Amino acid sequence: MTRASSGVEKTIWDRLFTVLVAAIYIFLMFPIVLVVLLSFNSGEFLAFPLEGFSLRWFEALFSNKRFLDATLYSIRIAAVSTVVNAVIGTLAAIYVARHATVARDYIRLIMTAPLLVPEILTAIALLFYFYEIRIGTDYSIGIQIGHIVVTFPYVFLNVSSALFNFDRSQEEAARSLGAGGWMTFRRVTLPAIKPGIITGCLFAFVISFDIFNISLLLKSLGSNTLPLELFDYLRFNFDPTAAAIASLSIFMTFAAILIIDRTVGLRSLRF
Amino acid sequence: MTALTIDRINKRYGNLHILKDISIPIGQGEFVSLLGPSGCGKTTTLRCIAGFERPDTGRILFGERDVTRALPEQRDIGMVFQSYALFPHMTVAENLSFGLEVRKVAPADRQRRIADVLAMVRLEGYDKRYPRELSGGQQQRVALARALVIEPSVLLLDEPLANLDATLRDEMRFFIRDLQQRVGITSIYVTHDQAEAMVMSDKIVVMSAGTISQFGSPREIYERPASQSVAGFIGRSNTIGGKIAEALGQDSYKVETPCGSIGATGPAGLSRGADVKIMIRPENINTRSQAAAAGQGAGEGGHSDNVLSGSVVNSVYQGSANQLAVKLGSGDRVIVDVNGRNPLEVGEQVALRFAARDTWLLAS
Repeated sequence: MTRASSGVEKTIWDRLFTVLVAAIYIFLMFPIVLVVLLSFNSGEFLAFPLEGFSLRWFEALFSNKRFLDATLYSIRIAAVSTVVNAVIGTLAAIYVARHATVARDYIRLIMTAPLLVPEILTAIALLFYFYEIRIGTDYSIGIQIGHIVVTFPYVFLNVSSALFNFDRSQEEAARSLGAGGWMTFRRVTLPAIKPGIITGCLFAFVISFDIFNISLLLKSLGSNTLPLELFDYLRFNFDPTAAAIASLSIFMTFAAILIIDRTVGLRSLRF
Repeated sequence: MTALTIDRINKRYGNLHILKDISIPIGQGEFVSLLGPSGCGKTTTLRCIAGFERPDTGRILFGERDVTRALPEQRDIGMVFQSYALFPHMTVAENLSFGLEVRKVAPADRQRRIADVLAMVRLEGYDKRYPRELSGGQQQRVALARALVIEPSVLLLDEPLANLDATLRDEMRFFIRDLQQRVGITSIYVTHDQAEAMVMSDKIVVMSAGTISQFGSPREIYERPASQSVAGFIGRSNTIGGKIAEALGQDSYKVETPCGSIGATGPAGLSRGADVKIMIRPENINTRSQAAAAGQGAGEGGHSDNVLSGSVVNSVYQGSANQLAVKLGSGDRVIVDVNGRNPLEVGEQVALRFAARDTWLLAS
């Protein structure tokens, strides 16, 4: 009752809190808005004031072969990470939720370790390891494995949470109706955890597309991911092409959020 | 003919002995309830029959077929769950169709059987709905239909009414019982609600702490409970302690109690001097105020009636009856139902009259 009434009558603290939250949002969103604005600026430099609306920097971006290659390379790496994690992340979540008994919490912790350990440490560890097994950074497989490792927890956690919220008696109902293990999984369990898999996969894709440290250390010769290419570019240039790349990344993230909302609903996002 | 035989099954989880030598024979078309408080092993027994748990020892037979080691999908069962367990991403028709598709029933046949069973549970026209668009009672009827449409040899029900509100629960009891009798399917029903078990079952298995306390018809269990715990679990009961003074016949005894000598019915073979409790149901006690009883005189009634006297210590109005608490001379308290139009005041002296055949002796 007290909570309900404090919701109706707004105290000075409620108002202050609202202002504080608004300030935090502005602080976080402002640079993003700036970058997007700058990417449509017709001026020569990555600076204010804006001089007019233009798509020339996007044009420059798409006519720059290095950026184009980097974008495709990033998409390829992200796509492979997503597909691989869709399978192993889901299987791992099912194992932990269903079959791990005594060591369940420890296994869960290990599965989420890539989120907890600083990315740069994961990168260094993988780098040493790859040199130890003599693949070094000669091939794309190194950076690919790095991306899979770092994005794995997103699929794992989302599918775990979907499994946790799933009423297992549905599986038992399917078994009682005569369905075997595989049929039960395909027709009952999989549809129930699909939202978790989709959400996890979109996260994995976006994170893999944006990730920097892992790529910096593990990239193979002669191929750059988009964030690395952007970093190289900004060292010598300071024109709005960089802003155009940033805008592109932001659009992709928004697209991912939009897809999640349209397919499974944002409310199903739980960690 | 036994449709289902549970033969001395045992189940342990670590140190917990969940089921101890449970044996239940179930006849073709019978409705058998497993009744008991939570943790008594009734659900584990049901899950062993379904195949979701495997007993450590013992056998489970469907007719002549030993299914102890069979997987749930090989057993030919229909099961209704407490949570309904409908598939949320499928319509009602798709839910019902699932078991038929698994059994490779031809599409035309499938449709006919789905329509038939939907009519049976009075859900015609709901086939395109999703479970979330249905009320709890409707969902439960879909769950029932889904279990019945595959025409299983045994129907298993795991507290199917526990999530429904009281009015609907009463309605569904009769609905399920009626449906079961029309289909004639052997059914096993798990519940902790004794009233539910009483009105629905042919036989009741009263369980406690992994053992069977009593197995019998609702009437046997209510009128001839095997132990104090069964008597206490099924309905309300009064007990008065005493010693067997004399055996008057095969099942009738004279019992010496602090309130005097009482004629009672009990199981055969109770020996003289044995400690017993006399159980009397509240509705079987006739109450008169002491003054009225004196005015009418004794001798009326005809049976070998017992009369005890006491004073009213509490009276609760319950609509159809008043529930009185009466304190006997011995200090025992007895609960009595009296007609609501027969007011008895707290503190009033009353005579309690009951027939020997309405009592039952329990070993204490």
